[in-house]
Amino acid sequence: MFTPGSKYLIAITGLSAFSLALYMLLVHPSALGAVALIGLLAATSLLTGITLFTRDGHTAQDQTSAATVDTPTPSMWPLVGAAGFSLVLVGTITTPVVFIFGIVAILATLVEWTVQAWSERSSADVSYNASIRERILNPIEYPVLAAIGVAVIIFSFSRVMLAISKDAGAIIFIVAASAISLAGLLISVRPQLKKSIVQTIAVLAAVGIVGAGIASMGFGLREELVVAAEEDHYAHQECGEEKSDHFDKGVSETISATSGADATIELADGKLTAQVQGIEGLQDSITVRRSNPSNIIFRNKDAGEFRLSAHLGKTKIADGVMEDLVTCTQLISEGAEQWLTLTINKPAVSGEPYTLSVPGLEGQSIVVVVP
Amino acid sequence: MNHIKNASDAASRVNMLGRVIGRLKPVILGTAGTVFLASCASNAPQDTWVPKGPNAQKIDTLQKPVFAVAGIIGLIVAAAVVYSVIKFRDKGQPIPKQSHGNPALEITLTIIPALILAVVGVFTFRTVFDLNKTSDTEMIINVTGQQWWWEYDYPANNDYGITQPIITSGQLVIPVGTKVLLRETSRDVIHSYWIPALNGKRDAVPGRITLNRIEADEPGIYAGQCTEFCGLSHANMRMEAVALSKEDFAKWVTNQLNPYVAPAESTLAKEGETVFLNQCTRCHQVNGLTREDGTPVIAAPDENVWSGAAPNLSHLMSRNTFAGAMFDLLTPECRTDVWKSESASFGAKYLAGVSESCLNQTDLRGWLRNAPEKKPMYANPALLASTGGKYRGMPNLGLSESDIEKLVAYLLTLK
Repeated sequence: MFTPGSKYLIAITGLSAFSLALYMLLVHPSALGAVALIGLLAATSLLTGITLFTRDGHTAQDQTSAATVDTPTPSMWPLVGAAGFSLVLVGTITTPVVFIFGIVAILATLVEWTVQAWSERSSADVSYNASIRERILNPIEYPVLAAIGVAVIIFSFSRVMLAISKDAGAIIFIVAASAISLAGLLISVRPQLKKSIVQTIAVLAAVGIVGAGIASMGFGLREELVVAAEEDHYAHQECGEEKSDHFDKGVSETISATSGADATIELADGKLTAQVQGIEGLQDSITVRRSNPSNIIFRNKDAGEFRLSAHLGKTKIADGVMEDLVTCTQLISEGAEQWLTLTINKPAVSGEPYTLSVPGLEGQSIVVVVP
Repeated sequence: MNHIKNASDAASRVNMLGRVIGRLKPVILGTAGTVFLASCASNAPQDTWVPKGPNAQKIDTLQKPVFAVAGIIGLIVAAAVVYSVIKFRDKGQPIPKQSHGNPALEITLTIIPALILAVVGVFTFRTVFDLNKTSDTEMIINVTGQQWWWEYDYPANNDYGITQPIITSGQLVIPVGTKVLLRETSRDVIHSYWIPALNGKRDAVPGRITLNRIEADEPGIYAGQCTEFCGLSHANMRMEAVALSKEDFAKWVTNQLNPYVAPAESTLAKEGETVFLNQCTRCHQVNGLTREDGTPVIAAPDENVWSGAAPNLSHLMSRNTFAGAMFDLLTPECRTDVWKSESASFGAKYLAGVSESCLNQTDLRGWLRNAPEKKPMYANPALLASTGGKYRGMPNLGLSESDIEKLVAYLLTLK
């Protein structure tokens, strides 16, 4: 009753209607979105009607090539394509990831279905047509499928490692690596091993890892990672004299920028000095602009690890509650330099100037003046 | 037979060309005349051919001979093209002998421009390095661009009596004969600082500091213009550099450092101070201004303006302009009196500031009445979603005429 083309368009029309209903019922509807989806529904409905009316442009049997008679094989790609379109529609009103999956599905459908349709018209021999399709698409399909498989395995394994303790992680890593080595050794010393056995081992291992990954995702991150995320360890600055477990990890000790600095603050022989481009000599104060990022270079020329801290007055964190506003560089070693960007919106309160200092270095500071 | 037909066609085309040129003659002559007359303009404060300082002079010294050489070459080429077009126009004659493949001629025509460019290059590099020299700087001034005005802050500099930073806007005040280094940046988009009489242009880029040397030979006012398209009111983002003798500059510094003097009680200006406190201090700072309880008023433009800054209005009436130097604070007569004054008397006239009789009441009141109407800005509260509700420019505050009266009286006290 329905031709292949009309089935495809009926599916798209149905999905358009479904998307419209979903959008109007579940998502906060907007006039623009509704018009777009209604337009899509109208367009697909029109195309479907035309296709049904013209019977998909079918011509009489005697006008077709003998090579095409009875050769089409069942294909999953119309279904994948329709799913891709619906994902694109849903993705436009939900999250970009869904949209990207939809685009990938549509692109895969375009390539696969086109090549399949072409190969099925190359001869009347179905097996020959299938071999033609494989010769063209297998060089693409295998690497892509392998990459997806590897990504799934890695992602699953990483979920496991994030869920268990560090010690257990080390043990599991060693066990997994040993198991892979043993399996490889077994296959190499017993080349006559049945293919089905090797496939079974591989499938079981993959299913085991993916299953463990799913279970681990349900279990969640291990406690210390949850705490670190909640306390924002790696972004939370600790500007004291002591080395911070988190903030001082992965210290950057060189600056690639060669210009654009408002001042260079140098620690040498236990003294803190400022150099400002255009002003001769060493300074004990610098002037920075209001409401504008000002870049300061801190250079440590003394033995040991030091950081530069900027004390920028107080900030209100709740009614009647004030907190010192401090920002700083990481601890950097002798000869290293690091960038500190200050954005100060208001002049300092009289008698309480903004300062730059090195924790642990008494009596040395640079005044930061904000006009 | 063909030869006769070709000649006839060619003659027809020549006649048609002649008719076209004949019709365009008024347009050509009109354009040439306009260009010529434009070169005679006397009121051209941003003329790039009139250097008033050593840095601009260096550029001028370079560009004039380059322009002359390029102009002579351009004229020769244009004349050769016109001569060839007329002399060798298609009259049905056979194609003349072609010079392609003449190595001697081609080498000569390559070497001559290469030599000219090499000479220009040597002098250009020398000028560029001279203009980028900073080791002999005598004074630095921070210049910050934002939509659509320039802020100047002077870091403390004991050599010039600047014991604490000075902040101003619109007019950059410098001492004559002093090597001033401008440290430029921007708070929002890229701007470009250019006062043609004092130096070339230099971009002010957010997150970067660019350096620009200026020095003025004589006292006077030198006009400039932002030269990097920066949004709606780019054309209205102007600036003026005011050069004062060293003695006058010291007086200017002293005045800028003078503490705030509140208006006398029971005066219109005092009422204006209250209006200012209620309406203007959300963005505009006046150093030394305090509330009734004695707490200092600290403006919060970072909470209201997209760039995070609004002009500091301390000593406003010591300047001659407002609203990004788009409007004059002086009436046309008083402004002309300052601009056209002799070097010797310029400083005294400028330092006199803006008196009540010289105040440009029309533009100042219009600005206070509805600023966005005077200068295009993004100040419609209903259209500020992209900036998180923050203005780009000054909004219409909806002030009453009475409030405006009081504010004008108050602003006149800020000398």
